Amino acid sequence: MKLSNLIKREAIVVPIQNTEKQLVIEELLEAAAATGQILDRAKALQALLDRESLGSTGLEKGLAIPHARTNAVDGLVISLGVAPDGIDFQAADGGLSYLFFLLLASDALTSTYVQALALIARLYQQDDFRREILNATTPQEIIAIIRKAEE
Amino acid sequence: MPNTQSGRLISKILLLTDGSEGCISVAKYGIILSKITGAALKAIYVVNTDLLKQLERARIFVKIEEVDYESDLEDDGQDYLQDITELAASKGVHLETELLKGIVHKIAIQKIEEWNADLLIMGELEPGLPRQDISHDELGLLLRKARCSVLVAKEQRGLDELFETLT
Repeated sequence: MKLSNLIKREAIVVPIQNTEKQLVIEELLEAAAATGQILDRAKALQALLDRESLGSTGLEKGLAIPHARTNAVDGLVISLGVAPDGIDFQAADGGLSYLFFLLLASDALTSTYVQALALIARLYQQDDFRREILNATTPQEIIAIIRKAEE
Repeated sequence: MPNTQSGRLISKILLLTDGSEGCISVAKYGIILSKITGAALKAIYVVNTDLLKQLERARIFVKIEEVDYESDLEDDGQDYLQDITELAASKGVHLETELLKGIVHKIAIQKIEEWNADLLIMGELEPGLPRQDISHDELGLLLRKARCSVLVAKEQRGLDELFETLT
């Protein structure tokens, strides 16, 4: 499984326009909808907010992965956003979040969903990947950086 | 090591999947080879609870998600094993199955020994999260420690066609 095959160019937002947590999630969801895989946007948003209510998906070192499983989507859909100035996403380490992967999967795709989350976390551990992607300014550039990191 | 009791090079084929991509290819390889060699065939599906724990420790999952997904992965595993049992039966091959949970490479090695398998067929396991021990490599460990030959099944042109022609 390769992330560069799962993320579509139209689902990449750079830079993210919003600064408030829920609005950021909505912006990323809108980008995800460009893939045509969101069947019910309101239900998908609710699934993401319900998950967020269990604990913030803002992780360490500026990464946030809002995610949920829901049958409001067809298959596995990922959108990606970069916020160069950082956003307060109530991250685990108290810092700002700069890179966002929004991930939604239909209920039947648990295995793929779990593996995609692990893939994202693993990629983000690479110092070069982190530095390059946070400086990227276009979706094309981001896809190329992910592809390079996966090699 | 060949099973000397049966006098055949391959007499027991173990199929391994953890739900990674290519698990149907693993089953098709196994069924074709079983049909050709007459080897007994067993499939294990390992719910990768180690990966779920890693994701929980990394705070990507909260505890309730870890528990829910483990249960869902068990259901997926049962469905997969049922599907490939039917797939094997459609070609006249008997397939024994087992659903297990834990660290994938350790369980696979244990099953190879318990069942005395002489060929393991698996897909390309997805690696977990980075560990403090950066040399940790599930697939590498399995390849090195397995006491039998290992075939890593990849998407291969012609596999589906060959499977379809199998009678």
